Amino acid sequence: MTKPDFSDEILMSFADGELDAETSAAIEQAMESDDELVARVALFMETRAAAQTALKPLLDEPVPGHLVAAVERMVEEKRAQTAEPANVVPLRQAGPRLAITRWTLPLAASVAAVIGGIGGYLLALPGAAEQNSLHVAGINSPALGQALATVVSGQETELSDSNQRFRAIATFRDSTGALCREFEVDSPDRSTVISVACRSADAWRVSFAVVAPGTDTGYAPASSTEALDAYLSAIDAQPPLETGEEAAALRAIGQTK
Amino acid sequence: MSIIPAEMKSGNSMIDRTDRVEDQLVAFLPNLRRFAISLCGSRDVADDLVQAACERALASAERFEPGTRFDAWMFRILRNLWIDVVRRRKTAGVQEDISEREDIAGVSGEREVEARMTLRSVGEAITELPDEQREVLLLVCIEELSYRETADVLDIPIGTVMSRLARARKNLALSAGITPAPARSGVMKGIEK
Repeated sequence: MTKPDFSDEILMSFADGELDAETSAAIEQAMESDDELVARVALFMETRAAAQTALKPLLDEPVPGHLVAAVERMVEEKRAQTAEPANVVPLRQAGPRLAITRWTLPLAASVAAVIGGIGGYLLALPGAAEQNSLHVAGINSPALGQALATVVSGQETELSDSNQRFRAIATFRDSTGALCREFEVDSPDRSTVISVACRSADAWRVSFAVVAPGTDTGYAPASSTEALDAYLSAIDAQPPLETGEEAAALRAIGQTK
Repeated sequence: MSIIPAEMKSGNSMIDRTDRVEDQLVAFLPNLRRFAISLCGSRDVADDLVQAACERALASAERFEPGTRFDAWMFRILRNLWIDVVRRRKTAGVQEDISEREDIAGVSGEREVEARMTLRSVGEAITELPDEQREVLLLVCIEELSYRETADVLDIPIGTVMSRLARARKNLALSAGITPAPARSGVMKGIEK
């Protein structure tokens, strides 16, 4: 044989659309003058199609009622277990406190709104396009997810899709080891959201958020962060990560994107 | 059960990708059951496997990473359970008797038309493939996982997926008499090298 020799695996990858563009082009070219090669590729296409057709009826077969019922019952139990208390910030006095050097911020003395709960709500919405978009108490910014994953604590950045400023305060782990970030977002109307988002699988989950309306002259009074402190205590927040640890943790997130 | 790596992400999963396990499970039952039947060759065993897999999936639902393929995650759980069953049978000295396997294509009855006869034989041919070849065929060709995703489900190198899959398809073609239809060239010279 003087023709280029393609292995079965290569031809199969080609038929399955898993082959790189360069080799694919080489095969396509060779196929123009090599009917045997065409037949070998076609074999892989035909077997895939035939197998699909053959097993299609199994998919249409009704799932036995007892099986569906059993699974539905398990799902119900699971849902009952994981039912989350909504809109409640757990308050617990005792427990290790997170020592955070807080930025001095123009925050109102009173906390305007507390949203979220211990379970929080999932930020990543269904659908690939919205995978990284976040909606937090007036913040609606796909750039926020990126900021959470890239901005080191102590730094701030303008969210590219809004007039909001994002400020990373600290990175820590909760009692389950999940990576969490405390951050603040300033809006043009001078209100500030103090928030905690934790990494749950591949998404950021905002577990806590406080909206503090802006004042012209105010400093960050301790009272606006009391709820936050109570929350951090409740989730047994570990001490903030060192710069190096944080960098490594954020890199790890970047790699799972 | 280890967490499924990030490479298993896919943009075209038929399942809503950010839903929780408990929200996706019931709708996924037909697929899971088909995989189970094709894997073990018995509807009764398959239904037990499906139920056990659902139980395990719910128990470790926190380990499922939104954004990864839910179907691959479930297949992995079910397949691992099946492997346990097979191991237990082997230690118990039970021989797996291939003749007891049902025709997984499921459509029994008279072979009225030739087309149906062909399809039926493909189902039988799949049933008769060696286990290691059948499972890669099921994951790639039926469930449309990528080679990489299949390798992750089965915990084997991607090269092994490819060599098993190529063998599976050549065996399938041979025993079911699948011959390539003219695809790009009008002239076919048969399937042998």
